[in-house]
This record gives sequence, C-alpha cells and structure tokens, in this order.
Amino acid sequence: MISVKNLSHSYNEDGNFAVKNISFEVENGETFGFLGPSGAGKSTTQGILTGLLKLQEGEVLVAGYDIKQVQNERFNKIGVSFEQSNVYGKLTAKENLEYYAKLFDVPTRDPMELIHLVGLDGKENVRAGEFSKGMKHRLTFARSMLNNPELWFLDEPTTGLDPTIAATIKDIIREKAAQGTTSFLTTHNMFIADELCDRVAFIIDGEIKLIDSPKNLKLQYGLKLIDIEYVRDGKVAKETLKTVDELDRKRIGEIVNNYEIQTMHSKEATLEEIFIQVTGRELVYNETIK
Amino acid sequence: MKLLSNYFKEMKIAARGFYFYIEIVMAVILLAILLLAVSETSTSNRKLFIYNDMPQKIVEYQQDKSIKDGDARLADATEFKLKPAKFEITHQETGETTAYDFTDEKIIELETMEMLDSSTGELEETVYYVETEEDMIRLAYGESEMGATVAMDAHGKVSNKYYLQGYETDRLKSLLYILDSESPNVINAKKDRQVVRTLGVMETLNNRENWVPVFLVYLGSLMGYFIVMAYIFYDKAEGVIRAFAVSPSAMWKYLISKIFVILTTVVVSSSIITIPVLGGQPNYLLFYIFLIITTFALASLGLLVASFFDSISKAFGVMYAIMISLMIPAFSYYIPGFDPLWLRFVPTYPLLQGFKEILLNGDAGYVLTYSLVFLAGGLVLFVLADIRFKKTLTV
Repeated sequence: MISVKNLSHSYNEDGNFAVKNISFEVENGETFGFLGPSGAGKSTTQGILTGLLKLQEGEVLVAGYDIKQVQNERFNKIGVSFEQSNVYGKLTAKENLEYYAKLFDVPTRDPMELIHLVGLDGKENVRAGEFSKGMKHRLTFARSMLNNPELWFLDEPTTGLDPTIAATIKDIIREKAAQGTTSFLTTHNMFIADELCDRVAFIIDGEIKLIDSPKNLKLQYGLKLIDIEYVRDGKVAKETLKTVDELDRKRIGEIVNNYEIQTMHSKEATLEEIFIQVTGRELVYNETIK
Repeated sequence: MKLLSNYFKEMKIAARGFYFYIEIVMAVILLAILLLAVSETSTSNRKLFIYNDMPQKIVEYQQDKSIKDGDARLADATEFKLKPAKFEITHQETGETTAYDFTDEKIIELETMEMLDSSTGELEETVYYVETEEDMIRLAYGESEMGATVAMDAHGKVSNKYYLQGYETDRLKSLLYILDSESPNVINAKKDRQVVRTLGVMETLNNRENWVPVFLVYLGSLMGYFIVMAYIFYDKAEGVIRAFAVSPSAMWKYLISKIFVILTTVVVSSSIITIPVLGGQPNYLLFYIFLIITTFALASLGLLVASFFDSISKAFGVMYAIMISLMIPAFSYYIPGFDPLWLRFVPTYPLLQGFKEILLNGDAGYVLTYSLVFLAGGLVLFVLADIRFKKTLTV
C-alpha cells in the first residue's frame, strides 16, 4: 500500500535534512506505527506521503499512485486525520461532514453515522467553533473516514481525548483494521502504538533506526523485570531489577532475606523502554491525558 | 458539482461572518450619504486672481455688463494675508525664469466677484481683483490658484498673461491659447511641467454621480482584494486548506469559490449604490461585465499576496502598501491636474475611468479593451496563486 525508497527531505533545500534517506513498506491491511519524539521527522514523512509536502528525493508509491504525479483522485482512496483539528468553525458538525463528503467521487458514509461513531450525538447542529478541542479532534477524525479509505493516515489520533473517548477511537481503528484498512499511524505515544500496530518504525533525527512488530521487539529487547518496594531504615525504598541478570537476581534474594517487603511485581519491558534502549532517546509527551 | 458545493459552503460561511455584512451595510450607508448629503450640483471653490492693466472705467464697464447678463455678481470684499515667499516662475514658451523674493508680510482687501453659470445661476468661480501685478503673482503662488494679468494696449487690444501652477492639463492650456490671442503668455508659477490627460466625462456626470465610480472601485474591487485575503487567512488559521488539499478536489476550485463569494458580495453592494443613483442611465450589461472581471482580477491579486504569508499580521505590511498604491488614482480623479503618466499603470486608474465611461454610456471600446486586459491579468494572477497555494500547503 505504501512503498518508500531513499526518501530525503530538506525544508530549506540546504542540505539540512529533516528526513534522511529512509525506506520502508507498508503492506495492505497493516497498521503501521511511525514512532518518534517531536522533530524526529514523523510529520515530514506523513506530509510527503499525503502530498502536503513536495517530494524532493526518493521514490514514493501511495495507494498505487506515484506521488511525483499530481493525481487528486488518489484521495478517493485515502483518509487523513490531522493532529491539529482543522474543521470550519462557522459550520456545524453535520455541515462540515456534508461539505467534505461532496468533494469525493466515491460513495461516502452518512455524516450522522460518523457523528454517532465518534460520540458527538446531539452536537450535529452545533457550530464546530463552539466545540472543545477534543470534540473538534473527534470531528476531524470522523471526517477522515467519510470515504471509507483504503489507506488511513492517523496523526496522533487520541491526543487531547479523555480515556473513554480515546478507547472508542482505538476501537474504531481496530475495527477498520479488521475490515482490511491499511493505517499509517504517526505518534509519540508508545502505548497506543503497542496496542494498535502490527509493525512499528522508530524514527530519530530523520532516520529510521528499526522496524519490527511490537511483539518481536519485546522478545528481542524486552527483559523481565521485577519492581520491589521494601522497608529500609524505616523508609520505603524501591528498586527495578532484571530477572535475567545474575547480579540483579542476587540483589532480589538479598532484599527478600533482609528487608520487609511491601510490594513485589514482575513486568515486561514497555515499547517506550525498548525505544529508549534502541535509540538512546526519551520520548517527550505533550499530552496531559494519555 | 464540487465547485457549486464549495461556493455554497463559502456563502454559508460568509453569511455567518461579518465581512459580508460590513460590505452590504457600507453600501447602504454610502448610498444614504449620496442621496441625502451630496447634491447633484457641485459648489465651486475655484479661485482666480486678476490684475487689470487697463483703465478702471473699462474694468467697471466689463463688470457691470457681466452682472447685467447674469454671468456674475458682486460679493463682499475679501481679505488675504500675504506672507514672505521665495519662488521662481518660468515662461512656458521662452523658458525665461524670473525669481521672486518677498520678505514682508501684509494684509490686503480685494474686490471680489462671483462668476456664475448663466443657465443655472450656480457659482462657477470666484474672481479677486488685485491692485498690483506683483501681489497677484504672490497670491497665485501662495494660494496655489491661477492668476492672470489682463492688459489693454494703445490700440485697445486686450491680451491675457496667465500664471499657472505647473500641473494644469494640456487641455486647459490649449483652452487658454484658443481663448486668447495668437501670441498668448502662459506662465508656470512652478517649474515642473507635466503631460496631462483629462477625460471629458467629468463634465457630464453630475456631482452625485461623479462619486459612484470611486465607491465602485474602492468598495468593490479594493474591498474584494482585502476580503479575499481575510477569508484565506481565516482558513489558514483554522487549517482547513490542508484538509481540502487531501481531498480529491482541485485547489483552483477552492480558490475560485472564494472569488465567487467576493463577486456575489460586490455585485450586490455595487448594485445598491449604482441603481438608485444612476437609474437606467448606464449600460448595465457592460457595467456588470466590467465589475465582475475587474473584481476577479483584484481578488486574484489578493489570493496571490495571501499565498506568501501564513497570517494576516505577517501580510499586513505588503497588503497595506498595495492598498495605498491602489488608492492613489483617486487623487487624480478628484484633482484632474494631478495626472502623471505612471499613474495610468496603477490598475485602479483605468478602473475609475472605465466606470465613468460606463455610467455615461461613453466609450464602450475603452471599457471592453480594459475588460480584456483585466481578464488576462486576473487569469495570470489566479494561475500563479493556484501554483503558490499548491506549493505552500504546509504554511
């Protein structure tokens, strides 16, 4: 569905590349996560794939179209949900969807059905300018589904949403994946990527460091860990220790034998911990609600 | 279908915003001013300073005759303050320059006559009779008005010597040549001499009608230029251009739908002003063709300018400079003497002249020629704007 070969992009065309010689492929029906911190090159890559940025170097095929050629009809197959909500504030939710629906040459979904799907029932006749940030984001998300896209670009789809709504959005993405929709999910939220993606790519400083499935990454990089809380000198101390490391195992025994244990939990390494392990960089979260 | 859908969406947004109503309300206010506060006939404020170099009896005879014929009436004497001044005057034909340097300051009282239109009785010009030629030259310079020396030789032949400001039209100068002897004296009170063209139509539009072309240009085309930018920057702020860019619809349809909204507004506001004032006088087919094409051209200019900036605050300097430039031809419209050659290349200049021609049912060839020029220019600007918008979608 997506084929990217040796893609590079420089905003000022001065040799300072925001994306440097990256290559990857996304299969039909796959949910592909493009993960990295702010400024890593995620949005630049998505901008090129969606045609918002001009292709400078490399070859890119999206939904069967070479994006060097200007073909607006390709957007009949593509849906884009932007990170920054972008709907007409002076139009109601329903009017927004009705207007965009008329821009497509393919059958589109009923705006009211989409409004219901994203939990905006009762708000269909309210102007989007009166919506909260989260409501606008949901409307932007709903708009991206109007044409039943074969390829769906999702940029931070749960940003700014409360946990209930975020769960609904994730369910919709899973359902679309089950129906065969290919999704290109751009995020810095590793939890969402872990939950939704078949494969993920780690991008740092414009370069892809690794591409694999979350499961394989955990098998390859993940270590079983144990979190222990115990009482030492009258105070509660906490340590995280690896079960496969000899020294750590000895330390676990030492703590159990010598101190009063408060809590002890085993856990798997998260995708975020693997990201840090692979790239040496931490992700910065802008969200307050994840 | 997509174009129509875009147009209806834009109209809906415009109707829910305030720019649309500002334009319509302004048109109503301007119409009210024209109908209630502007008379159909103008009040002249032209002044002429005359030094009569002839026997007083002959002067009095001529004045009495004018009053008797209804061409003039006596007014109260007028006081003028003569201030220190230093200037040169150049004889137009010989090129000879005379320097004047007045250091004193004095107040003089001048006999005043008001010259009237013999058919309507309306005031055309106020004439002040000055006792010395030097004071007349000084007043013509100080008041920036025309002066003249009317002399009679030993054979009773009258000759006039005119003191002009330098910016008067060739037409006026030619008229003075024709009115006077074969060897007139036309002298510029300032050194700059300019080639001037004036249109005769000004003489046939009444005072109220004469305001309409200016309102049409500035409320219509110029506001179109401004409002289309405001709409674009509003969309940029909301990010909806990016959303449109990932739809199967072409960018030009988005841009042209903005212009269609402007055209709708301008056609409504221009009709509000024109129809009540001009009635059935103009050729409305030509009027709407010219109005639509010129508005399209200036709105396309607005689109192109907007494509270079991501917010109205960043665009403000360029936007304002262009608006001021486009307003300059209005000075030429009201001051026919100010009509330099370069001004004709400012788009609003032919716009003003074109509307005057239409309102008078005048030179349709001029209007159609400029319609084609504006159409071609507008299309070029629109295509450039389309290219720019495709390239700067992330801005």
